[in-house]
Amino acid sequence: MTLLIAIGNTLRRDDGAAHRVLELVGPAPGMRAVNCHQLTPEVAEDVAGADQVVFIDADLRPGEARLEVLEAGAGWNALGGHALRPWEVLALAVKLFGFGGKAWLCHVPGVDFEEGEGLSSTAERNALAAADLLRDIVRARP
Amino acid sequence: MAHRILISPVTRIEGHAKISIYVDESGQVDSAQFHVVEFRGFEKICEGRPFHEMPALMARICGICPVSHVLASAKACDSLLGVEIPPVADQLRRLMNYGQILQSHALSFFHLSSPDLLLGFDSEPARRNIFGLLEQDPDFARRGIRLRKFGQRIIELLGGKRIHPSWAVAGGVEDPLSAPGRAEILTGVPECLESLRIALDRFKGILDEFPDETEHLGTFPSLFFGMVSETGTFEHYGGRIRICDGEGNVVADGLDPARYHTYVGEAAEEYSYMKFPFYKPLGYPGGMYRVGPLARCNIATSAGTPLANRELREFKQRAAGGAVCQSFHYHLARLVEMLHAVEKIEEIAGDSGILDTRVRAQAGQNRTEGVGASEAPRGTLFHHYEVDENGLMKRANLVIATGQNNLAMNKAVEQAAKRFVNPAKLTEGMLNRVEAAIRCYDPCLSCSTHALGQMPMEIAVRNLKGEVLSSRTRE
Repeated sequence: MTLLIAIGNTLRRDDGAAHRVLELVGPAPGMRAVNCHQLTPEVAEDVAGADQVVFIDADLRPGEARLEVLEAGAGWNALGGHALRPWEVLALAVKLFGFGGKAWLCHVPGVDFEEGEGLSSTAERNALAAADLLRDIVRARP
Repeated sequence: MAHRILISPVTRIEGHAKISIYVDESGQVDSAQFHVVEFRGFEKICEGRPFHEMPALMARICGICPVSHVLASAKACDSLLGVEIPPVADQLRRLMNYGQILQSHALSFFHLSSPDLLLGFDSEPARRNIFGLLEQDPDFARRGIRLRKFGQRIIELLGGKRIHPSWAVAGGVEDPLSAPGRAEILTGVPECLESLRIALDRFKGILDEFPDETEHLGTFPSLFFGMVSETGTFEHYGGRIRICDGEGNVVADGLDPARYHTYVGEAAEEYSYMKFPFYKPLGYPGGMYRVGPLARCNIATSAGTPLANRELREFKQRAAGGAVCQSFHYHLARLVEMLHAVEKIEEIAGDSGILDTRVRAQAGQNRTEGVGASEAPRGTLFHHYEVDENGLMKRANLVIATGQNNLAMNKAVEQAAKRFVNPAKLTEGMLNRVEAAIRCYDPCLSCSTHALGQMPMEIAVRNLKGEVLSSRTRE
């Protein structure tokens, strides 16, 4: 099973781009989708129940939608607040719950992160491209 | 030369804050202040909106304790309707509230505070987090995560999602509990009880290793404020307000939460966006009180459930003068409450009538003013609404749990700074202890203000002109 985790706040415009990506991908056999505002520790157990996982998040940096292979725990959050970053959740999934699958972070660049709903045209275009990337991963699942 | 030590931001709390430590001419700590540097605008946003939108809107105040706001808001709306909600709706709201208390306390204890407690206040900052904890004791870390997940799952089963459920509404709740959902909840209870047994034994076993922190991270007499049941047991959803003093004497009892404004005042200070509530009869700042797990354990005569009751009796034995006045014991109180929450979850989910489908009373607006109160994980929460004849919001006033601990948190950081900080030779461990005084309260600054962004930790020693004499940065 491929787990897709969308991260972001739909009330901060392009910050919600990941949720739009999940809408575009739609339901598919062998796929499960999770929407969240931010990552919290218990998401690690959801990850551990999957064969592979893709975290989808808006990106402040300009560019096109892209996939980045994730390494577990590549830089802890020393501040240790309530929210975790994808590689930290991945580390929890690996070390505490035995996850051994592949993991990616799907970057969806945006340009407008102010209060409001709806995506900018840039983020919408990148969301469409990201959805194509994710469909390929879901189809090629182990 | 007199100067100021600045800790910014305070770490392992929800939201952003900083601490200033003022040093006198002789180089000794003179005072300290806890600054909340976020601004909240929710009360203003609500004006002009239909009151029935409030539970869903108020849930957006916070991603950690949205349920608390949904419930207090729904209760304020019940009052505007002037209805008694169906009994099963009352029980379902309680069930969700216990799920909320469990998940929030689990995050605070296992994720945010256990690194200090199990790895040490002076351990390497880069490892002093949940990842350091998982390397040292993966089973403990795993149990903490699963406890939180269980609480979140209850919220999801009832409200349809883990964060910002808008399921509690004016007059009751939107949907009943399903039979499979009930079965899943009951199946999860034994593991939670086992995990809490392990956590309590482990924590009580190491408490004696922290005598200095126990006595100097906010140990002082204060009032303790919260709701209790008619029989004086824990009450996290309804009940009346009881206030005890530092010697355990009941100062006020049976107070109507709807009349909070007659006994709770709200002051403001220039150095913080967070308000400073106080007990009106004793004035400001003499009316300082504490809310939350420590307060609830102090004011309740018993827990009302067998396992938590045993722990509460033991907890109360730590009181030297009638009430447990050490803020450090918020952590232990949190564990006692988690145990109680799981017992209540089992009790409520096990009730034969819990699947009843009549979950909402129907009525139009019958009042123009309503107050809802509940016990959030961090303490008593009040939502007070005034509406016009068309049901549009004229005014909202939210008295947030974290805000009610504001005076006490300021006193705690000052005490910790005086005991642990040597301005001439700053160490990270010293400053971590000052932060730890705040972490005892598990403040949720998103609730009490508004959160945005993330910053590195910066500690600066400044003179009164603002010039940096020395600094430390933690990325």
